[in-house]
Amino acid sequence: MASNLIRKLVLSSVLFFTTAASAETFVFTAIPDEDQTKLVERFSGVADYLSEQLNVDVRYIPVKSYAAAITAFRNNQVQLAWFGGLSGVQARRLVPGSEAIAQGVEDEAFETYFIANTNSGIKPADKLADLKDQLQGKTFTFGSKGSTSGRLMPEFYLRDTFGKKPEDFFSRVGFSGNHTRTLRLVEAGTYDVGALNFQVWNKELGDGSIDTDSVQVIWKTPAYPDYQWTIRGDVNERFGEGFKQRVTDALLNLKDPALLESFPRSGFIPASDDDYEPIRKTAEEIGILD
Amino acid sequence: MKGFNLLGLTASFGGKRVIGPLSLQVNPGDKIALVGKSGAGKSTLIRLIHERVNRESSLIPQDLGLVNALSVFHNVFMGQLDRHSTWYNTLTLARPFSKDREAVHSLLQSLGMTEKLWIPAASLSGGQRQRVAIARALYRNAPVLLADEPVSALDGPMANSVMTHLRDRFTTSVIALHDVELALNYCTRIVGIHDGQVALDRPSEHLSVSDIMSLY
Amino acid sequence: MFSSPTVRTSLIFLAIAVVGLFFADIAITTANPWQDLGNFFLGIVTPNFFSSEGLMTALLRTVAFAFVGVVSGGICGFLLALVYRFLPVRMFCAFIRAIHELFWALIFLQFFGFHPLTGVLAIAIPYAGIFAKVYSEILEEADPEPGRVLPPGTGNITAFLYARIPDCWVKMRTYTAYRLECGLRSSAILGFVGLPTLGFYLEASFSQGLYSDAGAMLILFYVLIATMPLWVRPKLLPIYVLGAPFFLGEGLPIVWGNVQRFFTEDIVPAPLRNGDGLTGLMPWLSDLMINEAMPGIWNTIVLTQIALVATGILSLLAFPLISNHFGGPIRRGAGHVLLVITRSTPEYILAYILLQLWGPSMLPAIVALALHNGGIIGHLIGRQTSSIELRSDTVQGFNRYSWELVPRVYRSFLAFLFYRWEIIMRETAILGILGIYTLGFYVDSAIQNIRFDRAMVLILVTALLNIGVDTLGRYIRRKLALQTMPTC
Repeated sequence: MASNLIRKLVLSSVLFFTTAASAETFVFTAIPDEDQTKLVERFSGVADYLSEQLNVDVRYIPVKSYAAAITAFRNNQVQLAWFGGLSGVQARRLVPGSEAIAQGVEDEAFETYFIANTNSGIKPADKLADLKDQLQGKTFTFGSKGSTSGRLMPEFYLRDTFGKKPEDFFSRVGFSGNHTRTLRLVEAGTYDVGALNFQVWNKELGDGSIDTDSVQVIWKTPAYPDYQWTIRGDVNERFGEGFKQRVTDALLNLKDPALLESFPRSGFIPASDDDYEPIRKTAEEIGILD
Repeated sequence: MKGFNLLGLTASFGGKRVIGPLSLQVNPGDKIALVGKSGAGKSTLIRLIHERVNRESSLIPQDLGLVNALSVFHNVFMGQLDRHSTWYNTLTLARPFSKDREAVHSLLQSLGMTEKLWIPAASLSGGQRQRVAIARALYRNAPVLLADEPVSALDGPMANSVMTHLRDRFTTSVIALHDVELALNYCTRIVGIHDGQVALDRPSEHLSVSDIMSLY
Repeated sequence: MFSSPTVRTSLIFLAIAVVGLFFADIAITTANPWQDLGNFFLGIVTPNFFSSEGLMTALLRTVAFAFVGVVSGGICGFLLALVYRFLPVRMFCAFIRAIHELFWALIFLQFFGFHPLTGVLAIAIPYAGIFAKVYSEILEEADPEPGRVLPPGTGNITAFLYARIPDCWVKMRTYTAYRLECGLRSSAILGFVGLPTLGFYLEASFSQGLYSDAGAMLILFYVLIATMPLWVRPKLLPIYVLGAPFFLGEGLPIVWGNVQRFFTEDIVPAPLRNGDGLTGLMPWLSDLMINEAMPGIWNTIVLTQIALVATGILSLLAFPLISNHFGGPIRRGAGHVLLVITRSTPEYILAYILLQLWGPSMLPAIVALALHNGGIIGHLIGRQTSSIELRSDTVQGFNRYSWELVPRVYRSFLAFLFYRWEIIMRETAILGILGIYTLGFYVDSAIQNIRFDRAMVLILVTALLNIGVDTLGRYIRRKLALQTMPTC
């Protein structure tokens, strides 16, 4: 009886590992910058599209943090990822041979919006410096710790303009987790001020799901490069010669309006690592990158 | 077997000497009753003797040493664990072999307990527990019996029947008994203990109840 | 009364917590905290069980991870318990159990990624350390007498099987069943870092304000735990244990090169990795200590001490709810339900919920820790008072509470409280991941910035802090001669 039991256990563990390792599936992920349901909806659409175009099984896996997306990419558990500016720079540093292949049309000149709850009495301005007195001592939330538009760029401009660490300038600094959450927290008054991805703001505004009596944009950052598709360098060895180019072409030819709308992007255009040099410098400057 | 000569036995408890130095010669065929007031050191003496003659003795300690979670059968079977291999013992724990079952069953029959064979020791009465410990000692079947008040929880007829068993099965025995009559009836030699010393050591046929009562 | 050492100790701890309150950040920062709380309860009473098709799978995965993790932890823990008397083994076990399941998960995620092994090991490793300690305590307490009457020459294994195990069996079984319940909680919260268990969906629903979906998940979770006596049957256990590995999900394949890279590169401190040698190491380490470890330790300690005292106060208030010296069966029944709910909800989930409702400060964490741990201790103390026989002409009401019951259970109350001290601290550190500035916050930040060397140092600091508090707790329990069985 005991030997039988051991045999079953061994058998089960073998089965368990082989099922996990056998399928040669092209897996991709994305930074969780928005609500889960939206991400799953958006990227399962992309998975279907890519699968059709590339003739391989394509699977999207959702992750819970920016770092988890980078780690999965680095560990070769995913071969393609929709990164933000900063996470893309981090990922490409860690994976030699990987490169940025496509970005959204809007990502060439991306912006961060600073938003404020109307009860805080903060009035919009063209220059961040003009808001010094109004912002000082208020509560403030970033998005995710690893976000470009939700953390890196706003933190850079705050430090640059006020010469202080955000936690020394505001009375309380938080990390909401993602852009949708930042919007909701500021709208509800949990924080007086927040910083988010302008595309998320515009999309939510267009959908009519922002209470404009409670929250308004008070400042817009200058433009910087942001989101991009980054692919590992070794995909050709694994999925066949020219695979990288086929993925790139498939992304650049993505024209399905509903799918593009879900990003929201008007289309994808070629991108290269060099486009993100400003992001790398900024990250080094504020000490996020070594 | 040979008898054994115990020389210079001592035991202390909390820095205070409770036994000895004490010497006792046990000859083959001796059936010794240890008598004396409670606290005189009888139990300690039994324990000391057990330490000396470990391998050749069956022990019935005062608190019996039963494993409460195991059945009566297993508690009795424990008397022979040293005669089987580990795997045999392990299998027995899960499912006893029929020849052992029969052996233990017939042994318990003589003690009037067969219907309790598969009941955990924890759910037995005091007298039943005592008989399980006795059965274990009988099953062990060593040449020497060392017992500490083995029948204290049994009623008169049962106590006599058990004492007869013990007398017949063991050639040599050392039994601590507070019941003076049982001591005189079933033992050949009475050793009286007083303040950790041997205060009396005579064949039982030369003694009467009143001789022994002087120890109390 | 004030000269009694137990009272004096209690007052010292109370004073520390009050001082701690001056340093702690306990503001409610949301604009409509009570409205949000109301919406949340509305969600609970209008659960939506059909929100996500993944919900049932998540529930199944939660159970599967709990079984595989707890069983493997139990087997390893049992083997460790056999050699627990050796100091290196004891230190090893203290170390692995001082690191929280979520930290283990975060570590394994870095090289095993989303493979089921990550979740299994995250539960199995700390549980092995806990099992080793408790099993060895149980084995040590076994009645030694049967071992003494064994025939000389009995083999070691036979002696162990006959004279030790049967006596400990019931206690070990009870404790293992209790751990399985804890395993379900641990398994559920692993979802918060991305494993496919309940927490994954709970987090997603909550952050989107889908309270009815979240409510359904919580209710299913309570039902799962409350019905454990019905579905965890000795006869069914082999089926569960053999079947569970098949229900962990596929995850993603392990790439073994990542494991090597993690240990030989990722966790090597940056200055050493970059060839700056020991001269570079000191500034790196002191920067880490001053800017992250120190504030983290300070906040962790402050929060732990306040939560500990809050737990104590709540337990003393809660135990009459289930004590049979107060109220009728209906009120007691309601009390039981309330305490089951508070103690079945993992602190992490409670803290997460309250943080969403009240905004980020130490307050949600304090309340969450006090509710969960107070529920557990209140339950144990309440059960204990129910076995106390009062004289028939005794006082009623508050006098009964303060004169008859509290004095009788106060020592075991303190014993439980100090036993949970270390557990509260471990939990406090981990709550940092949610945005409270305890050690977990800095660990999470380091991981978010892909700086595993810093994360490992901070996890090490957290482990040492836990071991320190565990030692101190044991010292106080010994000093006050408080005894307790570790079933809480």
